[in-house]
Amino acid sequence: MPDRPEATTRSGPGRLLVAVYALFALAAGARAGVQIGTKFSEAPAAYVLSAVAAVVYVLATVALALGGRTSRRVAVAACSVELLGVLVVGTLSLADASAFPDATVWSGFGRGYGYVPLVLPVIGLVWLWRTSRTDGRAEALTGEGAGSA
Amino acid sequence: MTNALATVIIVVSLLAAAYSLWSAWRNRAMGVPHLVALGVLEVLLVTQAVVGFVKLSGHEGPTSSATFVGYLLAILLIPPAGAGWGLLERSRYGPGVIVVACLAVAIMIVRMQQIWQGTHA
Repeated sequence: MPDRPEATTRSGPGRLLVAVYALFALAAGARAGVQIGTKFSEAPAAYVLSAVAAVVYVLATVALALGGRTSRRVAVAACSVELLGVLVVGTLSLADASAFPDATVWSGFGRGYGYVPLVLPVIGLVWLWRTSRTDGRAEALTGEGAGSA
Repeated sequence: MTNALATVIIVVSLLAAAYSLWSAWRNRAMGVPHLVALGVLEVLLVTQAVVGFVKLSGHEGPTSSATFVGYLLAILLIPPAGAGWGLLERSRYGPGVIVVACLAVAIMIVRMQQIWQGTHA
């Protein structure tokens, strides 16, 4: 696909979004790695959740960085799961602290990370929505679209 | 981890963030000065990793050393990744990426100090 137009989810402000997502993929991944590698038996549920969060961040980072149709769907799914995760885990961690003896990135609505985990999926979804409109226009103009995944 | 080195890293990363923010403000793409700043930052971080491992092997440091080692190694990835990702973008958002990377380094150093001093779970 040499002459496909620059994927808009990763250019311009999207460049910053991918950078922040990559940071959170690194943070959540490292955290999950340390938790599972050194003290998994202490709080298996919380640590599995950490790993799930890490996978979601990695998926969102890669999908936003690649752009294209399939990636866009993966990115929407990842951002949605992330938003749902931070809301559910945030609420549960405040309502029943004993169920979350050790912190994940989503505990307390991402309090330990300046609430960025709460804001990030919303920005991601808004960005995907905005670029989908310009992408659609570009595809209609260049006759691209069908078959380019 | 030494306080002097940590302070130097924080100051350098904040200066690099401020310079990159100024570049983005003036609508400039990434250039050689940004790369030099990130290079200096990376050298400082490698120095910190070496000092950190030497101190850990001498039984100094925090009880949760796995977390600390995680930070010590993960932070090394940020300046090169920021440089690569920022260079791909030939607009003001290139230096914007460097702002994010440098602020992340500064925040991580503060967390590492907290872990080292045992004031952070």
